[in-house]
Amino acid sequence: MEEDEFFGEKTFQHFCAEFIKHSQEIGDGWEWRTSKDCSEGYMCKIHFQIKPGMLMSPPGTSAHVQTCLPMEEALELPLDDFEKTETTTGSKVIKYEYHVLYSCSYQVPVLYFRASFLDGRPLALKDIWEGTHECYKTRLLQEPWDTITQQEHPILGQPFFVLHPCKTNEFMTPVLKNSRKINRSVNYITSWLSVVGPVVGLNLPLSYARTASQDEGNVN
Amino acid sequence: MHYPIGLLFDLLASSSALPWNITVHFKSFPEKDLLHCPSKDAIEAHFMSCVKEADALKHKSQVINEMQKKDHKQLWMGLQNDRFDQFWAINRKLMEYPAEENGFRYIPFRIYQTTTERPFIQKLFRPVAADGQLHTLGDLLKEVCPSAIAPEDGEKKNQVMIHGIEPMLETPLQWLSEHLSYPDNFLHISIIPQPTD
Repeated sequence: MEEDEFFGEKTFQHFCAEFIKHSQEIGDGWEWRTSKDCSEGYMCKIHFQIKPGMLMSPPGTSAHVQTCLPMEEALELPLDDFEKTETTTGSKVIKYEYHVLYSCSYQVPVLYFRASFLDGRPLALKDIWEGTHECYKTRLLQEPWDTITQQEHPILGQPFFVLHPCKTNEFMTPVLKNSRKINRSVNYITSWLSVVGPVVGLNLPLSYARTASQDEGNVN
Repeated sequence: MHYPIGLLFDLLASSSALPWNITVHFKSFPEKDLLHCPSKDAIEAHFMSCVKEADALKHKSQVINEMQKKDHKQLWMGLQNDRFDQFWAINRKLMEYPAEENGFRYIPFRIYQTTTERPFIQKLFRPVAADGQLHTLGDLLKEVCPSAIAPEDGEKKNQVMIHGIEPMLETPLQWLSEHLSYPDNFLHISIIPQPTD
């Protein structure tokens, strides 16, 4: 494997800064956080999702309510609405927290995430496995432990689910090789997150891709 | 924690006499703070994940990836069933390095202190310097955890412990990695306050 395909922490931070700049422009909610001793940082995003309930919903309401509410809207809704929803349809609001950290062992970014109900109860690993996108389910069920595992967050120390980074180079190398061939710069974080994010319910608006190619002249 | 029991003892109770008395709780599992252990498969997955990460550091994952699934299984089963020869038949390959090098690419290590919020320190560190000299345990600490070692003329404030002993700071890190690593191929190092007796 070529040294080019791996990138260092400084490059990671640079691409994250570019990514967050665009996130701020479109209100996508990503922010940068640093460890207490400020030696390292990571990207963080929180979003809320309504999971459809198991019980029959009363006539008039839609049977499947699986919408992603931007944080501001979710917080504006009077709390009563959620409580009412819980008892009538049984659907629940889940808070997802995504962190993008740099792994010096694999020299790639890693996606950490956790999910909990509004009352703080965390979701179990099997709920996470069940909640992944249909097209990833087969592979996940064959080798669940190789794909999503639970680990200690290297900076916060709390349990998080992790998308295992050992295969990252496999799919990123062709992306980087191609971008070099067609002479178009690519934001590693944007490309990588657009591949791994959907596996765990994290989607990136298309505008990120348009921005990445516009940055061509600006990468130092 | 998914930490090796020896590490937990060094870090939290090294001054206690053996046997180590612990309290086991059966209620109110602190989901937010600790990793749950749902099955033996979870432990195997965690162990293999550590071994793979160690090999990513030592050999850019070449050795572990060249092995077959049955070799990975043998490593785990050797550990699980306390079969030294079975374990080392595979593990010795993870401890080799090319003849032209003087050691691994980077050393897999984690440094633990109870006084910090961060769970451990893990950074890239080469076992051999540019001039070919072998880096020592002292070199590692000076670089990634300088507060752990006392200044030249100062009083010794901490113990640097691996497997319950304090190796000399002059010990080459490459040697420590080959001979004092835990089964997961990491050097788990505890920095604990010097006991005052």
